[in-house]
Amino acid sequence: MLDLSVFNDLSLFANEIWIARYALLRGLGVTLSISALAIVAGSVLGVGVALGLVYGPRVVRATIRVYVDIVRGTPVLVLVLASYYIFSTVGLDLGPFQAGVLALAVFCSSHVGEIVRGALQAIPPGQTEAAKAIGLTFGQTFSSVLWPQALRQILPTWVNTAAEMVKASTLLSVIGVAELLLRTQEIISRNFLSLHFYFLAGFLYFLINFGIERLGKYVERKTAVPS
Amino acid sequence: MRASFRAGVIALASSLLLSGAALAQDAGGTLDKVLARGHLIVGTGSTNAPWHFKGADDTLQGFDVDMGHIIAKALFNDPNKVEYVNQSSDARIPNITTGKVDITCQFMTVTGARAQQVAFTIPYYREGVGLMLKAGGSYKDFAALKAAGSKVTVAVLQNVYAEAMVHAALPEAKVDQYDSQDLVYQALNSGRADAVATDQSSIAWFMTQNAGRYVDAGYGWSPQTYACAVKRGDQDWLNFVNTALHEAMTGVEFDTYAKSYKTWFGKDLPPPQIGFPVEFK
Amino acid sequence: MGYTLNFSAVWRSFDLLLGGLLLSLELAAAALALGAVIGLAVAFALAGGPAPLRRVAGAYVTLIRNLPILVLILFTYFALPQLGVRIDKIQSFVLTLAVYSGAYLAEVFRAGLLSVPRGVKEAGLAIGLTPMQIRTSLVLPLMLRNVLPSLSSTLISLFKDTSLAAAIAVPELTFEARKINVETFRVIEVWMVTSALYVVTCAVLAALMRALERRLAIPK
Repeated sequence: MLDLSVFNDLSLFANEIWIARYALLRGLGVTLSISALAIVAGSVLGVGVALGLVYGPRVVRATIRVYVDIVRGTPVLVLVLASYYIFSTVGLDLGPFQAGVLALAVFCSSHVGEIVRGALQAIPPGQTEAAKAIGLTFGQTFSSVLWPQALRQILPTWVNTAAEMVKASTLLSVIGVAELLLRTQEIISRNFLSLHFYFLAGFLYFLINFGIERLGKYVERKTAVPS
Repeated sequence: MRASFRAGVIALASSLLLSGAALAQDAGGTLDKVLARGHLIVGTGSTNAPWHFKGADDTLQGFDVDMGHIIAKALFNDPNKVEYVNQSSDARIPNITTGKVDITCQFMTVTGARAQQVAFTIPYYREGVGLMLKAGGSYKDFAALKAAGSKVTVAVLQNVYAEAMVHAALPEAKVDQYDSQDLVYQALNSGRADAVATDQSSIAWFMTQNAGRYVDAGYGWSPQTYACAVKRGDQDWLNFVNTALHEAMTGVEFDTYAKSYKTWFGKDLPPPQIGFPVEFK
Repeated sequence: MGYTLNFSAVWRSFDLLLGGLLLSLELAAAALALGAVIGLAVAFALAGGPAPLRRVAGAYVTLIRNLPILVLILFTYFALPQLGVRIDKIQSFVLTLAVYSGAYLAEVFRAGLLSVPRGVKEAGLAIGLTPMQIRTSLVLPLMLRNVLPSLSSTLISLFKDTSLAAAIAVPELTFEARKINVETFRVIEVWMVTSALYVVTCAVLAALMRALERRLAIPK
């Protein structure tokens, strides 16, 4: 006789997914919006960090270096808790969503900062000198000579960082942000199908990140220098 | 030069802290603040049945959640004028001390160390620890677990006293601590653990939801008191909340409390005796 | 608002935190050692293996890199025993972390392999070395030198990832910190001290790796 009990289990699982469909979709929406906000804000901040690290005066360089090293050496969970609680000790009360986005954006900025710094420093200094020789201002040099080259080089690593942000957004469940993982845990606490729903969540995260990776590859091909 | 710079930073930071504290005091007591705001803010979790969890319709429910409704009804004569702030167990005390919630009701065990940081209300439940086993597993009951000595592994929710708590009942058992209740149950399911030691109310709920698959080992110990908690130093607010909870357990709101008790713990409560106040018996 | 910090509860349990830190470091080191072997094998498969092997290796890297590590940890720990594979929790965690880091290291090593100039291999062939000898005594040393900076950042992120072992009851640094939190509720203070321990350890690891980089650098 075949043991069909595993199939009973699967139909139970399918039924539970159907009951929880809105909760799961809402969680997915929160995860996507947190990640998108953190990636955009973190990238803008990160470019600023890189500019400071490469072209800033000594004091600025040293300050930003300390910022980047501290943020990169701290587990994201700790950054999340810090941004939720430390600000409220000085009277600035951030909600869990805002505090979470802030923590992830700060984390993202330190990584993007390092990536962009590496890319900018890899451009031969001769180019800046040549740009100066033909009379370009620093702003012009940066936007039309340095930045396009740096952008092409940082793209693969930047896509990795974006995927890391999606994964790191799971940590916001600790401060009560109802993202996909917390939604999953809520569902599990009702129906106790832990493994099933953790794997469903894993699969959804995989889909998001796989999408990001494909998108990155596509942009990379589009922006590649034709050889 | 450097020393004076540091002194400046400290002065700046402490003046920020002080101005924060001053703002808090200007706002008056919590009771007035809540009444002016028009709704109560309660901190609780969302992942522990039957205390605080999401139903199939995605609404927050459970015994802790009902305590919030009872206090809201006392404040506004409307049990729904309450906002629940979702928080992990780790966040219970910080969310009170940093003013993110008016009160926390989240199966919080009263201990001396915690009472130094927050003010506890009167208790609303007394919990004990029990042991749950897999039906048809290698151990049948508490006696079998005890006889197996150090061969038994017990899964338990993370706690400083978790090891001592298990060893009070099973002195030789190995103890594995997990950071969430579902992982504790998962440890039993996957055979990582032979038994689960957790709150008797949680065991009862879990066994009702999974009828026939688990058995209670039939041994209970380690009493603990559950109470809500508020910020220290606001006696007026603490008195109000105490009154609301007290009347729910002994007075005009008894039916609400008893109905909630029946829903989440499956037992009928005898009504408080009429006549001489039960408190002084 | 008006929260006063009090670290005495943290200092009382400081030994627990240090013990946890030590275990975190051991977990990261063991996972890196195993992961490097996996990564190296996969990198060689990706860079020069036969087509089917290349596809399998590519699928492994894509799958693992896009999954949250927590899901992998839960899978090895809880699902494998139900499928009949039973390993101890520390081994189970190290194995998961090794498989996880293997996917990242494979990419790092592959980039390193590509950075070794073709001429080196041709020169090796010209002086009569076998392909295996070329790999172990020419390509590998050159590649390792090139990938050292990426290797050091992988080590640091592995060290930080050990914090997830807390979920399956491995008593590393984060586990100990949470344990102290549960009773003392000095959450802000405990996390401040714990994050300081993480930051300092990461800084020391980074400095050690930089020193190694300098030692191994080809003198100019």
